[in-house]
Amino acid sequence: MLSAGYVLRRVLQMVPTLVFILVVTFVLVRLLPGDPLSAIGGDHVTDAQVAQARAAYGLDQPLFAQFLLYVRRVVTGDLGRSIVVQVPVWSLVGERLPPTMLLSGMAVAIGVGLAVPLAFASALRRGRATDLAIRAGAQVGLSMPVFYIGLVLLTVFSAHLRWFPVGGYGDGWGDRVYHLFLPALTLGVSLAAVLMRSLRAAIVDVLGAEYVDFARAKGLPTRVILLRHVLRNALISTLALLGPTVGSLLGGAVITESVFAIPGVGRLMIESIYGRDYPVIQGLTLSLAVTVSLAFLVTDLIQASLDPRVAR
Amino acid sequence: MTMRPRFRTVLALSTCLGASLAGAAGAGAVTRGGIMTYGRYADSLFLDPVLNDANVDIWILSNLYDTLLLPTDDGKGVQPGLASAYAVAADGKSITLTLRDGIMFSDGSPITAEDVKWSLDRARDPKEGIWNFIDESIGSVDVKDPKTVVLTLKHPDPAIVAGLSVFNNGIMPKKLVEAMPGATLDDKAKAFAEHPVGSGPFAFASWSRGQTMKLVKNQHYWRPGADGKPLPYLDGVTFEVLPDDATRLLKVQSGELDGAEFVPFSRVEELKADPKLDMALFPSTKVAYGTFNVRPKLKSGADNPLANVKVRQALNVAADKDAIIAIVTHGVGTPMSSFMSSATPLHAGTGTEFPADPAKAKALMKEAGFEKGFGFPVLVLAGNVDEIGIATALQQMWADLGVTLEIQQVDNATLTARFREGDFSMRLGYWTDDIADPSEIASYFGYYPNIQAQHSGWNDPAFNTLFEASQQELDPAKRADQYARMQAIYRDGPTLPLYESPYPVVLKKSVHGFLQIPLGNNIFSGASLEK
Repeated sequence: MLSAGYVLRRVLQMVPTLVFILVVTFVLVRLLPGDPLSAIGGDHVTDAQVAQARAAYGLDQPLFAQFLLYVRRVVTGDLGRSIVVQVPVWSLVGERLPPTMLLSGMAVAIGVGLAVPLAFASALRRGRATDLAIRAGAQVGLSMPVFYIGLVLLTVFSAHLRWFPVGGYGDGWGDRVYHLFLPALTLGVSLAAVLMRSLRAAIVDVLGAEYVDFARAKGLPTRVILLRHVLRNALISTLALLGPTVGSLLGGAVITESVFAIPGVGRLMIESIYGRDYPVIQGLTLSLAVTVSLAFLVTDLIQASLDPRVAR
Repeated sequence: MTMRPRFRTVLALSTCLGASLAGAAGAGAVTRGGIMTYGRYADSLFLDPVLNDANVDIWILSNLYDTLLLPTDDGKGVQPGLASAYAVAADGKSITLTLRDGIMFSDGSPITAEDVKWSLDRARDPKEGIWNFIDESIGSVDVKDPKTVVLTLKHPDPAIVAGLSVFNNGIMPKKLVEAMPGATLDDKAKAFAEHPVGSGPFAFASWSRGQTMKLVKNQHYWRPGADGKPLPYLDGVTFEVLPDDATRLLKVQSGELDGAEFVPFSRVEELKADPKLDMALFPSTKVAYGTFNVRPKLKSGADNPLANVKVRQALNVAADKDAIIAIVTHGVGTPMSSFMSSATPLHAGTGTEFPADPAKAKALMKEAGFEKGFGFPVLVLAGNVDEIGIATALQQMWADLGVTLEIQQVDNATLTARFREGDFSMRLGYWTDDIADPSEIASYFGYYPNIQAQHSGWNDPAFNTLFEASQQELDPAKRADQYARMQAIYRDGPTLPLYESPYPVVLKKSVHGFLQIPLGNNIFSGASLEK
């Protein structure tokens, strides 16, 4: 059972991280060459027009004054308004975060769904043909670029076999899950390869532990030994890997979202950086930081519930 | 005393003004109904005709907002739009526009002279957006009667008639915009742009950003089709945003889309061979070029060899344009014969501008005192296959002159910032006209007081004087002569003209009448789907 103190401590640990990200993002975006007005106005607007627009968006104010205004807004829940597309950042994040979250969730489900049985099959048949084949497959999954896996899946399953649509997001939950299956598989394959290798090593390790020998000696059925003792203990190290992997999944989503035309935050982030859309970059980074911090929190809490020593 | 005619130009009325579109759709063979799905490489940003400034908006706005006059299909002239006729006064200082009978916004409310005045006044306000330069000559807009609007000009302006067909002069519903929430007119316009009500052939239906935008037929549109009934033929258009080229084309090939824009040149031949598809190459005003910084000193303080016109000429004749066209555009492009595209009005020039001549290039370098060559960097847009291809080809072509070209890939905002600050030696870029008049490209490319001739620092008093004179010259022959002289002077200018290229659009064979005009506007009003 998790103590309330541990949960509170973990939640409070998120605060300095988020403050750090808030400050660093604000500074970093302004260190990039160019600004939103030069990015959207392009080469052809006059200096007077750029100066006029800069003043309209408050970008001619001292940096510290801009920062104070930004912090004041964030504290009151206002992430500002996009300079490029002229809508509130909250509304953009609200539109674009769900597709990425659904995609990431499905990718994790596929990744874990593939990794667990394959890791068991590989570990239990260590050194045999099955093990070698699974490990070779994992190696291929790790070394193939995500965009390439995506294009291959699109060409085979969408263009030729017509089992799935060629990209897009669909309408309604069922249609969306159908649209997102191939991109989730693309990300899930890479994720499965990472998780499988870690989980296989952990299972091999746990299989040699004394408490497993003891369980066998007690005459427990193999299924119970594998699920209750081996998987539970092997998962602890793999779960520690899953938290950061969710972060990298969001990174991988940038490419996957472009290839599969999914209107998610990965694409929004890239578009915002290219357009130097400061409010969107800041708001999106903060939202993603909260999301990833929550993913860490959840995996830590699960880990702690599986192994109470973690919470100490 | 001889009476001068009251009006210099009178555009005839016509009750059947959809002639060009009707022709495109094929008289008698047109099919009505259906939703056309079209793949775009990027989503729109903002659907306000005055405050927007990107091609992703500009090129589709004409479907939502009609202008008083419309560009012709060849992009070189104008035809009646919401105004059924216009007349320019003999002294060129006023234009009288007659509004068409029975015109309505997509919500069924009438388009009034007050809406026209309000829209033009907003479009020409120097505090609104970046396109007000098009209406710079307008001194006042007055409603003479419910059917007549008079523009009084500060000075004669040969480009203002073409200007009235540009998207920023789209007619908007004054009352609906003003009724939107917001403290300022800008705020109201931004709110209105989320769910616009327009005067164009299509009405806005919905928009999932980054995914789809749905337009539906404007039931109140005025323009007749080939069958005599009002356009558009389609029930609607759905845009799907598909940034990846391969995915966008795959969707057309698999039949999920009716068409897609921005086909990479490398895929054109393959798609031409597909019997189910129509690989269209629409004539455009698009030109690809390099811009040199011609200031005597670079931002770093170093001497700049590119300030020497002979060096620029040497680099121009050392660049084999035909080879670049073959390598980069896979033969789709054509050589330039002026700094303006051949589709731009008053273009003058024949043959390839600076045809390849390696011997002449070496002689010019020797004359300039750079026989042993020199090195400089070129800025290219990161990840842009065409620009990287051009830069790599130039790198090899100029190596024979002892010129070492260093390719620097940067993102668009960085490139723009460095370009605007004059912190560059050379950059690559593209241009398309937005107006059926050469003044836009001439003012950006050569007229120093605007943006220092594309931020190059090139300042030619003769070019500047000719340009200023051409901005008030109403005699077409004299203006054409001024432009011919400007184009001749520009041969000593700051650019490396490379090639013209069409707009590559792939369509299903069942699509008829879709048009992308040389100015870039995607015209869906004459499109139909064969059943």
